[in-house]
Amino acid sequence: MWKNIVYFLPDWQVIMQAIIIFLIPYLISRLFIWIRENVNQTEKKQESNTFQESRATGDLNLDVKIIREKIGHNSDVHFREFIIGNTDIRAVIIFVEGLSDKDLIDQFIMKSLMNVSFKNKPLFVYKSSLEREDKIFEFIKNQVLHIGEVKETNNLNELTTKILKGSTALFIEGFLDAFILETVKGKTRSIEEPITEPLVRGPRLGFTELLSDNTAILRQHGENESLSLIKSQVGKRGKKDLVIAYINDIADPDLIQEIKNRLLKIDIDYLPETGYVEQLIEDNFLSIFPQVQNTERPDRVISALMEGRVAILLDGTPFVLIVPVTFSMLLQSPEDYYERWIPGTLLRLLRFLAAIIALLAPSLYISFISFQPALIPTKLAISIAGTREGVPFPSLIEALIMEISIEILREAGLRLPKPIGPAMGIVGGLIIGEAAVNAGIVSPIMVIVVALTAISSFTIPQYSAGITLRILRFVAMFFAALFGLYGVILFILFLCSHLVILKSFGVPYASPAVPYKLSDWKDFMVRVPIMMMKRRPKLTKTKDSIRKG
Amino acid sequence: MIISSNDKISTPQAAVVVTNFILATGILTLPRTSVEKVKTPDVWLTVILGGIIMMIAGVIMVKLSQQFPGKTFFQYNQEILGKWFGWLLSLLIIFYFISISGYQVRSMAEVTNFFLLESTPIWAIIMPFMWIGLYLNIGGINSIARMFEIILPITIVFFLLVLFMSYKLFEIDNLRPVLGSGFLPVLKGLKTTTLAYSGPEIMLLLVAFMSQPNKAIKAVLIGTFIPLLFYVFLVIMVIGAFSINGVVVRTWPSIDLIRSFEIPGLIFERYESLLLVIWIMQIFASFTISFYAAALGLAQLFDKKVKFFIYCLLPVIYIVAMTPHTINELFKLEDVLGNIIIILFGVLPLILFIIIKWKRGKVDETIQ
Repeated sequence: MWKNIVYFLPDWQVIMQAIIIFLIPYLISRLFIWIRENVNQTEKKQESNTFQESRATGDLNLDVKIIREKIGHNSDVHFREFIIGNTDIRAVIIFVEGLSDKDLIDQFIMKSLMNVSFKNKPLFVYKSSLEREDKIFEFIKNQVLHIGEVKETNNLNELTTKILKGSTALFIEGFLDAFILETVKGKTRSIEEPITEPLVRGPRLGFTELLSDNTAILRQHGENESLSLIKSQVGKRGKKDLVIAYINDIADPDLIQEIKNRLLKIDIDYLPETGYVEQLIEDNFLSIFPQVQNTERPDRVISALMEGRVAILLDGTPFVLIVPVTFSMLLQSPEDYYERWIPGTLLRLLRFLAAIIALLAPSLYISFISFQPALIPTKLAISIAGTREGVPFPSLIEALIMEISIEILREAGLRLPKPIGPAMGIVGGLIIGEAAVNAGIVSPIMVIVVALTAISSFTIPQYSAGITLRILRFVAMFFAALFGLYGVILFILFLCSHLVILKSFGVPYASPAVPYKLSDWKDFMVRVPIMMMKRRPKLTKTKDSIRKG
Repeated sequence: MIISSNDKISTPQAAVVVTNFILATGILTLPRTSVEKVKTPDVWLTVILGGIIMMIAGVIMVKLSQQFPGKTFFQYNQEILGKWFGWLLSLLIIFYFISISGYQVRSMAEVTNFFLLESTPIWAIIMPFMWIGLYLNIGGINSIARMFEIILPITIVFFLLVLFMSYKLFEIDNLRPVLGSGFLPVLKGLKTTTLAYSGPEIMLLLVAFMSQPNKAIKAVLIGTFIPLLFYVFLVIMVIGAFSINGVVVRTWPSIDLIRSFEIPGLIFERYESLLLVIWIMQIFASFTISFYAAALGLAQLFDKKVKFFIYCLLPVIYIVAMTPHTINELFKLEDVLGNIIIILFGVLPLILFIIIKWKRGKVDETIQ
C-alpha cells in the first residue's frame, strides 16, 4: 500500500516542470498588468496652465496693438483700417491671407461697411449715447454685414485663434465687443476615388482633408433626416475639429455615450490623423487586431451608419473611423453588395480562403516538410525532396529568408516613385527569386508558397487587417517550427482564444460567427440576396431593427 | 464570489458547452471499450441506451440546479447538506474536475506523442497546451462558450466527412446478427458507454450562468443528443469496417479506421494526422471547461477571484497529468474516474434533489 503511494508520487523533475509551468504565465501576466498600469499613470497629468485670459478694452488702438503684438509679426496676417460709411467711426479688420475668402472680405465686409449710410436711419433720435451705440452695433450686425456666420466676443485669445483659422476679426471704434466673421476658405483638393481602396464597381468618391467637405459628402449621399453630426474639439495645443456621425434613430445610445466618454479622455497636444484617435480610444492597445475600422470611402461609411455603427471624422485627414468593428467586417468589401449575390458570395468565400492561405501557408509548409512528410501525397513528397536536395538551411530559416525578403520588398514598394515601381516588382519577384533558387539557397516550392502567400494577402480589402495577418504569419511559422502540425493547431487555438476574448466597444470581435445568431450569418461568409436581408445586424443592438427597403 | 450579470451565456451556448465536454477521449476509445464488454455487434444499442441514461441524469442535475437560481453547485450544496458536508462534497467534485483535466491533457499528450511528434518529451507537449487553456480561461465563461461555438462545427464537420469517406470498408454483415445473443450482453456494456457520455455534470455550474435558466433542460437534452448521434454513427462505421474481433485488438480503432482507406488524388494522403488535429482541438475544449469548473469551485469555496485559482491550479493539474507512468495506468485512471462519476453524478444529484424537495416541503408545512 505504502509502496503504491510512493510509486505515484511525482519525482523532482515533474515538480520542477510544475513550477515552471506556473511561473511563466504568471510572470507574463504581471508584465502585461505593469504595462497597462504605466499607461494609465501617464494620464494623470496636472492641469496645463491655461493661457491668461485677455479681454478687449474697448479702445480700438489698444486692442489692435495687443493683437499686433501677438500675431502681427506673421507675414500673412493683414490689418486693414477704414472708416465706416459717412461717419467718422474707425474700424479695423484683421485677416490671414490664403485662409480667408478674399472676395467675401472685399465685397461683403469692407464694401458694405464703407458704403453704409446712416442718413435715413432714425438712429439719432435716441437720447442716451449708450442706447445709440447699442443701436448702431445692432444695425451693423443685422443689416450691414452680409455674412452668414457672425459672432461677437471680447476674448482676445479666442479672436486670435479664430483669425489664425481663417475668420476675420472686425474691431469698431467705441465698442467693447469685436465681431468674428466666418470667412474660412481653406485649400482643398478635388473629390476623387481613394488610391488605397479602389473598386471595380462603385461610386468614385473619396473623402478629402477638409472636415466641412467630408460632412457635406455625408449629408449629400446619406440619409438626411436623422443623420446627426456632433462636433467637438480635440487636442490641447493644436485644437482640431472632430465630428461624430450617427443616425439618430438607429444607433445604440449606449454606444454613442461610450464613444463620447472615450473621446473626452483623450489628453494629447496634437492629433495629426485619425490613427491617433483610434489608438487612444480602442479597447485593447496590446492586441494585434485593429478594433476600429478606417476608410476613405463615403459609401462604406454610410452603409456602416445604416447598420447602426458610428463614424468619427477628423479635420485634416480623409480617413474616417468606424466603430464598432468585428473581424469579419475587415474582410468585406463594398463590392460584395454592389454585385449580385452569387458573385458576391463566391468572391467573399474566396477572400476568406485567401486570408487563411495568407496566414497559414508558410507554417503548413514548414510543418509538412520538417515534421510530417507522411501527410503529403507520395509523388509530391518525392519531388519536393528532390528539389530540396542542395538547400543548406532547415525549412524554418529558408522560409524566414524568403518571407523577410518579401516584406522588405513590399515596404520598399510603397515608397518607390511611380516610374520605378512596376520594374522593381519584376526585378524583386522574378529575378531575385529565380536567382535564389538557382544559387541553391531556397527551394522552388518555397518560392511558390511565398508568392502565393503574398498574393493572397493582397486580396484583403482593409490595409490594417492585412498588416495583422502578415505579422501573425511569422508567429505561425515559429509555432510550426517548434511543434510541427501540433504547433499549427496550438497557434490556431491561441488565435481563436484571443479573437474570442477581444471586444470592440462591447461587441465581441468574433461576431457574427459566435455567439450564434443565425440572422447575422446572412451577411457573414455568404451574402444572401438583398431581399432576404430584412433586419439590421443584431450585434450592434440597433434601435430600429427592420431595414426599410 | 457572486456571478456578475455580464457573465451570462445563452441557451445554445450552454448546449454547445455540454456537447464539447462530452466529446473527448471517448471518440477514440469507445468502440473498443464497449465491444470488450458486450462482445456482440449490438454495441450500437448500448450506446443509444447509455446516452438516454445520461440524458436522464443530466435532467436531474438541471432540475436540482434550477431550484437555486443564480447559484452554482458549490454554493447551494451547503444549503442542502449543511456547511461541513457541503464543503466536503464541493471538494470532492473539484478534485474530480482536476483529475478529469489531468486525464484529458495526458491522453492528448500520449496520442500526440505516438502519432505526430515521436521524440518530443511529454512535458513539452503539455505545457503550451495548458498555457493556451489558461489564457482562454482568464477570459471567463463567455469567452469559453464562444470558443466552443467555433470548435464544435469544425469538429463535427471534419469527423463526419472522414467517417463518410470510409464507406468503402463498411460491411453491413459485420453488424449482424442484431440481438443474436439476446438482450443481456447489451446491458453488460452499459456502464462503459454511459461513461463515454460523461459531461452533463457541467450543467451543475452552467445553469447559474444562463440568461434563461428555464430553458436549461432543453440545452442539456440537445447537448447530449448531438454526441449520441455522433457516437452511434462512429460505432456503426468502426465496427462495420473492422468487425468486433478487429476492433478489440486495436488501441485506437477510430484512428485505424482513418488509416485504412485511401482516396487517391486528393491533397492529403494519410488522413489520421488531420483527424488528430481536429481531435486535439476537441480535447482542448474538454480540458478548458473542466479546468474552469475546478477553478470556479475553489474560487466560490474560498471566496476569491477565479483568476487566482486558475493560475494556482495550473501546476496541480500538471502534476496530476504526469502521475500515470504508462498508458495502461492512464486507462486505469479512467476506470477509477468512471466509478467516481457514477456515484458523484448519478446517485448524488438524485439524493440531493430528494432532500431539497423534502426540506422545502417541510418548510411549506411549517408555514401553513
